[in-house]
Amino acid sequence: MKGMKLWATVAAAAACAALIWVMAANFGKDPHEVPFMLSGKPAPAFTVDEIGSGQSRTLASYAGKPLVVNFWASWCEPCKAEHPVLEWGARNFASQASFIGVVFEDTEDNAKDFLQRNGQAFPQMLDSTGRMAVDYGCSGVPETYFIDAKGTILTKHIGPIDPRTLADYIRKLSSPQPAPSASDNP
Amino acid sequence: MIALLAAALLAATPHAPQREASEPLPPEQEARVQLLGKQLRCAVCQGLSIADSPSSMARAQLDTVRSLVKEGKTDQEIFDYFIARYGEWALLAPPAHGFNWIVWAGPALILVLGAFIISRLVRTGPEPSQASKEAAPPSGPPKQDAAEAEDPYLAAVRAELKK
Repeated sequence: MKGMKLWATVAAAAACAALIWVMAANFGKDPHEVPFMLSGKPAPAFTVDEIGSGQSRTLASYAGKPLVVNFWASWCEPCKAEHPVLEWGARNFASQASFIGVVFEDTEDNAKDFLQRNGQAFPQMLDSTGRMAVDYGCSGVPETYFIDAKGTILTKHIGPIDPRTLADYIRKLSSPQPAPSASDNP
Repeated sequence: MIALLAAALLAATPHAPQREASEPLPPEQEARVQLLGKQLRCAVCQGLSIADSPSSMARAQLDTVRSLVKEGKTDQEIFDYFIARYGEWALLAPPAHGFNWIVWAGPALILVLGAFIISRLVRTGPEPSQASKEAAPPSGPPKQDAAEAEDPYLAAVRAELKK
């Protein structure tokens, strides 16, 4: 009976230790955060149509220069909030990186209306099937991807981006560094 | 009036326009798409599969599964496609390897442990309480005699019978 009590105590202690380890390992993490595995990996190829001109654009069209890809939708309030930041970034860092917007989960008419009201300083594409968003591991809008001149994804920014974060990532794209291990949250 | 107001409010609220899903594949392939969709997690939902979620994101993910099936990819290749982007998080059932074994084997282990503890308790019987240990003499007469000695009525009956 004594041996059994010892066993039960050891088993309970092990279970408690495992529970504490799991809780400690996940403490502070957002349980709703979707993992992103494409940091440091080649950007998936894409072919999307440009809003307005209707011309097809591919990843190869932007080869040789860092690329900033922003997934957005006209119904998304945070996208509306970050739009001026991206407009500023596209104008301010035009010599350092190309910018494209990708309209996801939305219609072309809604996107055109949004751009007419809020301005359009960089080319906008329509991901009508959502395939590009899934290929890029997108988990909602807005999300901004930073791809270096060699076509490698540096990281993605989830949520509306602020000017300082945008400038920091453009700087990193201009002077490549090891990709961060995890995606960051706003 | 209330219905009209509610409709106006809904129309004014920004929402994701629902586009149509891609064309279903022939029945056999479509069944495979749905089966795979049931095993993949929707990126914007709370624990829903892409086959069960009505969100646009889930629809885009299911359309991707459909096009991968159409391209002739195997089930494993399709799972690998999603794992490469979202990690094993994309799978609703964690694969049985490494640390994940705890998730699979844990409930069975707890059941076995519980059965073992119960069987040991049944075999050995309940432990005597401290009070009964103190009350019982170390090597006294049989239990029946002790009970009779304590009961004055029983003793009186026995004395009456002896007369």
